[in-house]
Amino acid sequence: MSALQLLIGVILPPITVAVLVAGLIARLRKWSRAPVGKITLYPSAKTGSEVWSHTAKEVFLFRSLWSGDRPLWVGAWIFHASLALIFVGHFRVVTDFPRLWAAFGMGSQDVDVMSAAVGGAVGVVILAIGLYLLVRRFTSRSARDASKTEDYVALVLLLAVIITGDAMRFLTHFDLAEVRAYFQGLFTLNLQVLPQSNLFWVHFLLVQILFMYIPFGKLLHLPGVLFSHPLLRRD
Amino acid sequence: MLTKEVRQQVIDDVVGINKGPRALMLYMDICARCGTCEKVCHVAQANPARRTNPAVRSDHLRAIYKRYGTLSGRLLGQLVGADNHRFTDDVLDQWERDFYECSGCRRCAQFCPVGIDNSIITRKGRAILHKLGRSPKYIAKTQQISDETGNDEGQSYKAFMEAVRFLQEEMKEMTGHDIPIPVDKKGAEILFVPASADLVSFPDTQIGSSMFFYVAGMDWTMSSEAFDGANFGLFSGDDAHMKRKNKLIHDAMAKLGCKKLVIGECGHAYRIAKRMAPGFWGKLPYEVTNILEMAADFVNSGKANLDKSKVDFSVTYHDPCNMARSLGVVEEPREILRHCVKDFREMTPKGTENWCCGGGGGLAVMDGREGVDLLDGTFLDYRMKVGGEMKWKQVAATKAHYLAAPCSNCKRQLSQLMEHHKSDIEVGGVMDLFAKALVW
Repeated sequence: MSALQLLIGVILPPITVAVLVAGLIARLRKWSRAPVGKITLYPSAKTGSEVWSHTAKEVFLFRSLWSGDRPLWVGAWIFHASLALIFVGHFRVVTDFPRLWAAFGMGSQDVDVMSAAVGGAVGVVILAIGLYLLVRRFTSRSARDASKTEDYVALVLLLAVIITGDAMRFLTHFDLAEVRAYFQGLFTLNLQVLPQSNLFWVHFLLVQILFMYIPFGKLLHLPGVLFSHPLLRRD
Repeated sequence: MLTKEVRQQVIDDVVGINKGPRALMLYMDICARCGTCEKVCHVAQANPARRTNPAVRSDHLRAIYKRYGTLSGRLLGQLVGADNHRFTDDVLDQWERDFYECSGCRRCAQFCPVGIDNSIITRKGRAILHKLGRSPKYIAKTQQISDETGNDEGQSYKAFMEAVRFLQEEMKEMTGHDIPIPVDKKGAEILFVPASADLVSFPDTQIGSSMFFYVAGMDWTMSSEAFDGANFGLFSGDDAHMKRKNKLIHDAMAKLGCKKLVIGECGHAYRIAKRMAPGFWGKLPYEVTNILEMAADFVNSGKANLDKSKVDFSVTYHDPCNMARSLGVVEEPREILRHCVKDFREMTPKGTENWCCGGGGGLAVMDGREGVDLLDGTFLDYRMKVGGEMKWKQVAATKAHYLAAPCSNCKRQLSQLMEHHKSDIEVGGVMDLFAKALVW
């Protein structure tokens, strides 16, 4: 085990989790405790369920953006949906769900084939859309004028994660079993296997930086929309 | 010159967002700077410049908040949106210009994917300016006049009673009926509070409202102590003024023993009476409604004797931002118009997605040079060439002869806008047309 592997693979992960969780909890607590004024914007939501259905439309369908900027909606929606898919897909890197697959009548190998196809496709799509969003920050006046350092930082960081992820899938042989064994060792505090791929370590480091960044910068819009949209529409 | 003390006060005020309200706090944290607000803002569309981008304007506060109000901002600086803010000597001049170019119309909030309402940030910026005595003089003067006389027009009791008498005579001449405008009538069910500008500048709206109460057989009164619902505290960010001014109405309701407060054709007055007043006084012991909602009920009931052919010109309707976006009064005025007008035309977009007239947020009273460096012009120039540009285009496209806008600020802005474009489109209220269509 090299010093870098020790740092990225053993020391950093608990710090990452602590920063992400504590940072988010601190932020959510601050928001929740703040006094609320009445700022209803119409069309408003009269009942609790209306508030949540409205918020769900915003969170899952980007309803406001659909009417506000259609081309951006296409990019932004695909980007976020891909991120969500990729996030869910990564559960399999950590562990497997043989009983879930069995319920669908699939074996682990079928799932490997499926995730290679879907994951591969999403990996390409999100790279393309991510680059589009970056280019847009320079070419679209509305975005260019508004953009600040943190906007580029967040996007470049995400792109770096995406590119290293794609590279692992497409450019090198990637040993899933090895990585899964590593994570299980990490969780059970019984580390036996370390992935050999250098790309993996770069990717894993970038992901941890990204996670630690979430509670502090603009990526707070991720939990923030769950607060801001109800606040605006509650009547 | 920006002194150290002023700089510190600005920082303290911005950092104070840490105490809430929740909306402002969220808006400091969650903007993704996607640029959507710029695409839907009437100011940015008419004058594309970096500073007119709502996200850029809001970053005036955001950058300071992040830099001085959060640990992460102090440690990570630009990585989390905390600029090394340069407090140049002219920074407050920029604020004064930028926060008063925004009319607080909330159109951006309608389209923002992360749910940010930039008008709340604008109002906070204005509040900081106001505390420093940096409100534009028209805004400050209007507040001062209002504090001294109880109304924004500076009318005395005598002038008010004179206006009431004059309007009663007018109505007698028009209809042959003795239509009263009751004043300080104790025990009346309804207290009617328009914007005082209606009595002076837009008397036809006051006439229409009075006729409505008369034909609908309502028991109503006005108050000689609270006949102005307009309230510049909303615009200047001065909460204390907003409360003081609203107290006049709140007290008049108690003094006269009225059960229902009916606000006239004034968007922000209705918003304050309905939305803000409970924040000042707790649950209100009276109902708050609006002349348009009442009149819509009346025309829908079929009891109104209206003749559409008496209004023989085409009419379009401008949704005042406060009426539509902040209060949801969208259908009611249209229902009235459909009963009173033969040729009613919608403009696009409309309702809660309307374009601001360009006079919102108190801008309509600002005429002079202060607060802009645009086109080397006056604020009036700005309102005509930039603020009102999107509105002008959509109004002109309807080819209507009459533009109904139930809000005194909109009316002033739109009248000036029509004049600026040498258009003969008449600007007036909704109740004006109700009066015209009434059959006696």
